[in-house]
Amino acid sequence: MVQEMPQGVGAPLVDHVTQRSGKQAALNWASRNARLLAPLVTLISMFIFFSLVTDVFLTTQNLQNIVTQIAPIAVAATGVTFVLLCAEIDLSIASVATFTGVLAAWFWVGDTVSLGAWGIPVAILIAAAIGMLNGYLVAFVGIPSFMMTLAMLTIGRGMSIFVSEGKPIFEVPPVLKQLGSVSSQIFGIPVIGLFALVVLLLGEFVLSYTKFGRYVYMTGANREAAEMSGVNTRQVVMLSLVISAVTAGLTGLLFIGRLSSANPSAGDDILISTIAAVVLGGTSLFGGEGGMRNTILGLLIFGILSNGLNLLPNIPITFKLALQGIVLLAALLLNVFALRIERVQTRSE
Amino acid sequence: MAGPTATDSADRPTHLLSTDSGRHVTDPILELRGVTKRFGGATALDNVDFELLPGEIHGLVGENGVGKSTLMKILSGVHSPDEGEIVLRGEVVQFSTPAESKARGVGMIYQELSCMPSLSVAENVYLGSQPTTRSGLIDWKSMRRDADAHLGALGFDIDVTSPLRSLSLGGQQLVEIARVVFSGASIIVLDEPTSALSPPEAKRLFAAMHELKARGASLVFISHFLEDVLAVSDRVTVLKNSRKVATLPNEGLTKHHLIQMMIGRDAETLAESYEGGVTLLPASTASPMLEVEGLSLTGSFTDVSFDVRPGEILGIFGNLGAGMTEVARVLFGRDRPTSGTLRLGGKPVAPKTTREAKRHGIAYLSENRRATIFPRHEIFKNITLAHLDTIVSGIVRQPREVTIASELVRRTGVRPPSPSLAAGNLSGGNQQKVALAKWLTVQPKVLILNEPTRGVDVGAKREVLDLIKALRAEGVAVILISTEPETVLAEADRILVMAKGQIAREFSGERVSKDLLMSYA
Repeated sequence: MVQEMPQGVGAPLVDHVTQRSGKQAALNWASRNARLLAPLVTLISMFIFFSLVTDVFLTTQNLQNIVTQIAPIAVAATGVTFVLLCAEIDLSIASVATFTGVLAAWFWVGDTVSLGAWGIPVAILIAAAIGMLNGYLVAFVGIPSFMMTLAMLTIGRGMSIFVSEGKPIFEVPPVLKQLGSVSSQIFGIPVIGLFALVVLLLGEFVLSYTKFGRYVYMTGANREAAEMSGVNTRQVVMLSLVISAVTAGLTGLLFIGRLSSANPSAGDDILISTIAAVVLGGTSLFGGEGGMRNTILGLLIFGILSNGLNLLPNIPITFKLALQGIVLLAALLLNVFALRIERVQTRSE
Repeated sequence: MAGPTATDSADRPTHLLSTDSGRHVTDPILELRGVTKRFGGATALDNVDFELLPGEIHGLVGENGVGKSTLMKILSGVHSPDEGEIVLRGEVVQFSTPAESKARGVGMIYQELSCMPSLSVAENVYLGSQPTTRSGLIDWKSMRRDADAHLGALGFDIDVTSPLRSLSLGGQQLVEIARVVFSGASIIVLDEPTSALSPPEAKRLFAAMHELKARGASLVFISHFLEDVLAVSDRVTVLKNSRKVATLPNEGLTKHHLIQMMIGRDAETLAESYEGGVTLLPASTASPMLEVEGLSLTGSFTDVSFDVRPGEILGIFGNLGAGMTEVARVLFGRDRPTSGTLRLGGKPVAPKTTREAKRHGIAYLSENRRATIFPRHEIFKNITLAHLDTIVSGIVRQPREVTIASELVRRTGVRPPSPSLAAGNLSGGNQQKVALAKWLTVQPKVLILNEPTRGVDVGAKREVLDLIKALRAEGVAVILISTEPETVLAEADRILVMAKGQIAREFSGERVSKDLLMSYA
């Protein structure tokens, strides 16, 4: 009865899913896992495309480059995943990252306050305090997270400029330099990439294997029902924003390590890159669905796309940014359609 | 099949003429003749006649689910009747959309007001039809002036420049009425307008209704509050089991008469509807599990005191808006009371969060399915959420959760019994079983159930009720809240009736009947 397995999206597929057949089971499975499959298909096709079209893409050095490029974003994306799963948003990650980096360098230089390498944990604690303030005011006072973290974005950026007197700091703790350098590798894998992987796996562990992780999902899926099940949803939202600020702080440290300097007016693009990567992976902006596996896929898509487009011949360099945006949009559309199918499927059962 | 028959050009002049000549003054302005409406196999209205006279306030009463809201939806054009006809100003009409009935002068005031709280009163009165100046901008000056004059003419003393949200609910309701009148309605249908009003506000509403009547409008007043209906209506129509029982003039009618007509006396429903009464057990002598003393929450309920004993089902009956849900939310730590104390097993407790209440052993099943179920998540995650603390020490292992949930799924009779299915795929009754199963992982001390059988099919209803009885037998103190008298009569050992935020009466160890309960609500 069913003639073909539809590859595309849209209305015909909706008709098929209401029918029962052998292929139906496969289709059911696919649509139930659409949230992971859609980004996976995107990732594989991009990987194949860039491997075929360019000579440089599939070289060890280029793959190492990709890992080094996405590693800092991956760390911030871990925290952002928690926040999005709670159905909140954190717009302050980029300025918290910059501020943390500037603080670590500033404590290291020590013209005013000299803490040496101890400045690193202190800077992270300050990031956590910022997250706590975000979280308290959002969860307990009731400021929408969009507005709260927008305000914090400005405060963080302002504090970076204030502390550094607006000038880049060119000395950073050597441990961060080592962490951020492309040349530090273990079995050919950049250390910064391994660091990011550890953070991502830690995020996966917390989200999938702890009570708190479950509370994050359920709070995002239906806050009232979670509250009515005796979950302290305010605490869950607050902690998610703390996690997001801490991972943003770590990202800031990786950045100053990679660049060997802390620039108070840099790093703004971390915000868009991070949220784009998480959403590309299929984590819902409305909470409750998605997770670290999605985020890892999203990061790889984002990394390969940014890197691969630069390698394409015959495309004017000035057009690349716009092209990157267009491809991102296409990937997002694919996600939206895949999830729409999943949704129709759930309803039809 | 439902399409507009009469065209506007044809009917407007006739309607103007007919008000002056031809028809008798007491001819009904609106009439339903033999209206029947079915939904699937269920008949919501069965051959109902209803007439509304010009300048009349017509009360419409009946129990939950007898077809009051279907009748209202037919008047407003949301549904069209399967059989029968609607006669408006002497002429057969068919409304197929709410806009059509509105254009013919039928205005609806729903329980959920549809106004814009952040806009001013004047803007709300003119919603969608703001006067404009010659340049096409909104003419604020004349809008305020006209709105003021308009409200004044209706006898509403309201500052038109203040934002609507600064008014009390009763005030907002008056503005909505003014808007409907202003948009040309001469027939106004009010659905449960007094359920959330304080007595003085209700008085003000009645005065407004009389004013509208004096100006020639006709009003339909749908309500559960029989005193309110009797206080303001000229005639009252009683519906029962989708049929009209009678339309009677208000003179000489009492609440008792109305209740008798609403619940009927026919033998076939006697056993079913408990109007014959049940005899409650004397209060148990066990020491109370939960004692509530002088509990108040400003604006919701005042001075509520009661206790529940282990192994007892305490029924709390009342109309919608009587404050039962609000009391339950306070007991479960969702809201904080203004005053009053709780004691659990003799020890004072004051849960500030739902988590605290849960840890004390208080469980609450909300009446709102949206506040109990996570439709896109697996059944087992729905069930284990409330007691993850107990189930999990350290690492969350889904297979263990599934094992625990499977047992509860079996115990509560969820069908299909597959814990990994998304809860949204279940029927309403089975979702309710899942919501209940959530509180059974760890036996609660006090289980508060708000309308546990609402929207649940007959089979599932029986299973849910049997489960509640089993819990009682195991020593759980159960509080059963319902707006359906049958539910509390059938299940409760002791019954409280709440009305207007207060406990009106406690029944224990005596014979109670449905009409007795309803007469206190």
